[in-house]
Amino acid sequence: MTTTEPMSALGVSRSERVREALRRFGTEDAWTKLTAPVALVLLILVFSILKPRFISWPSITSMLADSTIPIVLALGATFAVTLAGIDLSLAATVALGSVTMALAYQAGWPLVLCCLVALATGLAVGALNGTFIGWVRIPDFIVSLGALSLVMGAGLILSQGKPVLIQEQALTAISTTQFGGIRLNFLIAIGIAIILHVVLFHTRFGTHVLAVGDNPEAATAMGLKVSRIKLAGYMICGLMGGVGAVMLTSYIGSSQPATNTDYLLKAIAAVVLGGVSLFGGRATIYGPVLGAILLTFLQSGLTLLGVSAFYSPLVIGIVVIAAATLMRGRK
Amino acid sequence: MSDIKVEVRDLKKSFGSVQALKGASLTVKAGEITAIVGDNGAGKSTLVKCLTGLYTPDSGEILIDGEPVAFSSPKGSREAGIETVYQDLALCDQLSVWQNLYLDRELTAGIGPFRLLRRAAMRDKAKELMSELAVNVPPVTRSVKRLSGGQRQAVAIARGVMWAKGMIILDEPTAALGLNETAQVEALIRRVVDTGQTVLVVSHNFEQVKRLTDQVWVMRGGTVVGGTRTAEVTNEQLVGMVTGAIPTVELAGTTKRKR
Repeated sequence: MTTTEPMSALGVSRSERVREALRRFGTEDAWTKLTAPVALVLLILVFSILKPRFISWPSITSMLADSTIPIVLALGATFAVTLAGIDLSLAATVALGSVTMALAYQAGWPLVLCCLVALATGLAVGALNGTFIGWVRIPDFIVSLGALSLVMGAGLILSQGKPVLIQEQALTAISTTQFGGIRLNFLIAIGIAIILHVVLFHTRFGTHVLAVGDNPEAATAMGLKVSRIKLAGYMICGLMGGVGAVMLTSYIGSSQPATNTDYLLKAIAAVVLGGVSLFGGRATIYGPVLGAILLTFLQSGLTLLGVSAFYSPLVIGIVVIAAATLMRGRK
Repeated sequence: MSDIKVEVRDLKKSFGSVQALKGASLTVKAGEITAIVGDNGAGKSTLVKCLTGLYTPDSGEILIDGEPVAFSSPKGSREAGIETVYQDLALCDQLSVWQNLYLDRELTAGIGPFRLLRRAAMRDKAKELMSELAVNVPPVTRSVKRLSGGQRQAVAIARGVMWAKGMIILDEPTAALGLNETAQVEALIRRVVDTGQTVLVVSHNFEQVKRLTDQVWVMRGGTVVGGTRTAEVTNEQLVGMVTGAIPTVELAGTTKRKR
């Protein structure tokens, strides 16, 4: 079809382009994209006025390092949420990954292999979720809720609830080495974020994830294999749980059989704050990353102000509901 | 036989206890515009979805270019050169126009599994294509959600036209459109046929069928009750055939499917 006839071509004029830009600025689209960065800047301003020590470099370095696991898990949750789903088993996956890693360590496996075991555990949990959501067609909420309990139980059974010390120089180095004043674990998290950004926005697979999350019927009509794409998305999510397990084990220096639900809460919260549509189909990668940093800074800032740690879940809950309210009805 | 693009023989399809197709047969001549008309629930969309591979018929045969085919997914019909514009348009609202145009057929560059999208190339080509096809050109970077009904329809049709290699099926292509936009879509359909493609249109609009098509098949209650050359039939007769007021077998007797 290359015939050009009178019915064609009314090119986009410059004035129209200006109007388009202005129109875009006023949309919720812009607002949701700006929420996380603007809130982060405001939060840093407020805390540094209240406590100047908040913006000292050592404080920032340690807060960024603390945000590593929330970032990694938020990246995983982004894929589940973009597919219009959710993965409630994410924090339990972190615990199970750290347990299987410890088992491999106790069996005398080399450290690299132990880390791979943790990653494989995450992939396996993701595959379980993805299979039941994609093929058996049970709602994501139920599947991952079941998986949460199942994975948590498996972790407790395998470890008998006991943490295992893994004190290896090479492993702890991930959490302690600094490059230019920034810790290695944070740099790894940012590296993963960049890779996942490329995957989501510069590969066919990423486009298909967005399409399936947006409109699975249309995706099917266009020939996409919806179940397979969902499986892959949940496997990426699980894999991030595995990465979180390695990071956590490195940070603590031992395996952590108990599920820390705070991680799940923060991951989902960061995704919401990052402007990823809970109805699926729309996402950014930098949004959840900034959201995770924001939540970590918020928690540290409150601690610095002498607010009891008991208040931090409360505050995070308020922030999440406020953010979700701000972005409601986008679809 | 060579001028028959599609032949459907005794196609049946049930959903639970509902028999949507009770043995429908029709033929589509190559290089023509063929219409399927019928009331709501007559089985038009089900027939189309069987043709495109979205549904698998329970029994019956579909022949394309004389060859029996059995598509298990929309990919199959696409590979046979048939593009479909569905009634619900099958667009992803939050993706941009160009992403929708290239969905599942993205242009990539790279080696092996490490292939990246050629976003700029797709954007540029999409822009070119849209301005060729439609008067009311939406910006190709805009998300489909923000387009008007006519623009959305234009995107869905443009996608069909850009990928069709032999045939395009349009399910109610102008149902959501105003007069002007309808005229544009009809002109576009004529141009598509002029390039040698075969067109199958499902329509409710008898005037449009009269204006646009060469052959018309009438469906009622899950079967094709008759067919005729469009030129040989009046609007009133078509209405009568659809509602059952006119016994179609007589009317269609001259050109009824040869079996």
